[in-house]
Amino acid sequence: MRRRVVRFILNGEEVEVYVPPAFTLLEVLRDVLHLTGTKDGCSDGDCGACTVLLDGKAVHSCLTIMAQVEGREVTTVEGLAGDGEPDVVQKAYVETGAIQCGYCIPGFIMATKALLTANPSPSEDDILEALRGNLCRCTGYVKIVEAVKKAVEEAGR
Amino acid sequence: MNRLHDIEVYSPKTLEEALEILRREGDRVKVIAGGTDLIIQMKDGIMPRKNLLNIYSIDELRYIRMGNDSIRIGALTSFTDIASSALIRNYARILADAANTIGSIQIMNKASIGGNLVNASPAADSIPPLYVLDAVLVLRSVEGVREVPIQSFYRGYKKLDIRSDELLTEVRVRRMAEDEDGIFLKHGLRLGDAISVVNAALLVKWDGDDRFKDVKIALGAVAPTVVRARSCEEALTGKELNDSTIWDAASKVVNDISPIDDVRGTAEYRREMSVNLLYIGLWEIINKRNQAGW
Repeated sequence: MRRRVVRFILNGEEVEVYVPPAFTLLEVLRDVLHLTGTKDGCSDGDCGACTVLLDGKAVHSCLTIMAQVEGREVTTVEGLAGDGEPDVVQKAYVETGAIQCGYCIPGFIMATKALLTANPSPSEDDILEALRGNLCRCTGYVKIVEAVKKAVEEAGR
Repeated sequence: MNRLHDIEVYSPKTLEEALEILRREGDRVKVIAGGTDLIIQMKDGIMPRKNLLNIYSIDELRYIRMGNDSIRIGALTSFTDIASSALIRNYARILADAANTIGSIQIMNKASIGGNLVNASPAADSIPPLYVLDAVLVLRSVEGVREVPIQSFYRGYKKLDIRSDELLTEVRVRRMAEDEDGIFLKHGLRLGDAISVVNAALLVKWDGDDRFKDVKIALGAVAPTVVRARSCEEALTGKELNDSTIWDAASKVVNDISPIDDVRGTAEYRREMSVNLLYIGLWEIINKRNQAGW
């Protein structure tokens, strides 16, 4: 096994891992750092369950290798509730009942977070566009879109 | 699925360093840009396992600039940046539209135009627009620079005119003129994030009589490389544009393509969809011009 030190900023804090540089960010988050909030769905870039923010933009952690993460900033779902208080997006998903089995939700939450950071007052089309890469097999899309709208409202208050 | 634990990754910070590594390692390394397809191919064992030259951190290859008579796009520029660039939306709209359909937001944020071109999938959405916009690819090595027109870059299925010491660093596209219209069309199995079953780019130049002075049509996912639909182009140039000439011209596309059956569709389905896409696309171009008051 070829390992290397990779340094990056994870949820606001500098971290250093000693891992193979071609390991995916998803593997390192879940298996090395034990941050299991980020889910492994298809491992193929189709489902969006593994979505994290890389320098503020939504990307698939399953299609990102550690060498690409070096020196960059990564935010996972664990990074949203920094002080234990859920983020406005997380609250909106819970309060709307947008969660059924929950497996896809961390990915949806991160894609939503990226959308609201770039565009604080998105239209419904903007929301559908931003979430088009995230699949929910409990077919909860209607509630999910409602949750995003609620998050927009709450964040605007 | 393979874990990539034994793969060495070189991560140069500058283009110069990257070219030096390529000179030294040549075929022993595979270049990784965004990696959104390469990582899947490596995990699935489709691609021979090689060490990687990770160019993702070479920010000097991320730019969109107006050149003298072309738009210059750095090879690492993401599809998110291409889709939202005012320069590209104004002067090469077909490419912006294609960029927007490449995949999900997650894919668009990471995948790069250079990666899409060198990955050389026959279904790559950025290639048909670049065919009709006469793109030129800039290849750099320690030895120097080569400029290759996109149509001679592709020599066969995943066979490219690029040496093992060369890196694709820039894509140049010409600006669309006032008397030109174009459209990108994609038929995929899922709207938000799909590999094309058939895609196409159309670029027409109008003459003074509401006819096409020039037509360029390129299709993807229907041959080992992206192809121009020459018989279709010929059937439209200088002709009166009505439903029957357009349908006849669109139908001729079957002479220009050689699709295969695969997981996304049969050859027969692709032939039918190619005709339909061109028919729809030509009418969209014509209707748009009519609405614009011509």
